[in-house]
Amino acid sequence: MIVIDEYLAVRVLRADWPEGLPDDDLGLPASRHWRLLQALHNPRGGQLSQLLAELSPGGRDSIRRPHPEVVAIVDPRPLLDDAAAIAARFGTSGLLIAETLAAGLANGEELWFGTDRNIGGLVERAAPELGISIRVV
Amino acid sequence: MVTMSIGEELLEERRRRRRAGDPRLTPQDREILRRVVSGDLMEEFQAALDATSAADPLVGGGDIDDA
Repeated sequence: MIVIDEYLAVRVLRADWPEGLPDDDLGLPASRHWRLLQALHNPRGGQLSQLLAELSPGGRDSIRRPHPEVVAIVDPRPLLDDAAAIAARFGTSGLLIAETLAAGLANGEELWFGTDRNIGGLVERAAPELGISIRVV
Repeated sequence: MVTMSIGEELLEERRRRRRAGDPRLTPQDREILRRVVSGDLMEEFQAALDATSAADPLVGGGDIDDA
């Protein structure tokens, strides 16, 4: 499985397969799905909220419960112990960072992002120490 | 003529379905989501993701820059 971020998940759901992304099963960490769901369910005003409110019921469902043959949500439970160890090692309590790194470690030692702005400083620093390659497509 | 085993055919079918995206999305949905992840709303989308991390210490760990 290839571990991806929110950007790549949405791109693949809309059949926009990024050039360079390997042809394999894709997994979105649960905490990243949580952030995507927050954008959908917790409108903050602005054009983004207006547009997301215009999604069809099926469109909203595709974000809420992605089709597992297109994008799977990575089960966080088997990752929690590694995530906690990573969090302690790198001095963070953030589940998003620790779970993402643990998922990458358990799945081919790679993390794939749709934009470098979504990587985050700690992931960028910790990934090489853990032997994880970061790819941006 | 190239022949495929049943296993290869299943893998190819799975690859096709994966690349076809989610059939529940309408063309309008696809356009909305294009603007969100690669168009004019990308900045606002990133801000929304960052805001969730910043507002939720369990998710973001209290460090906005790193989440």
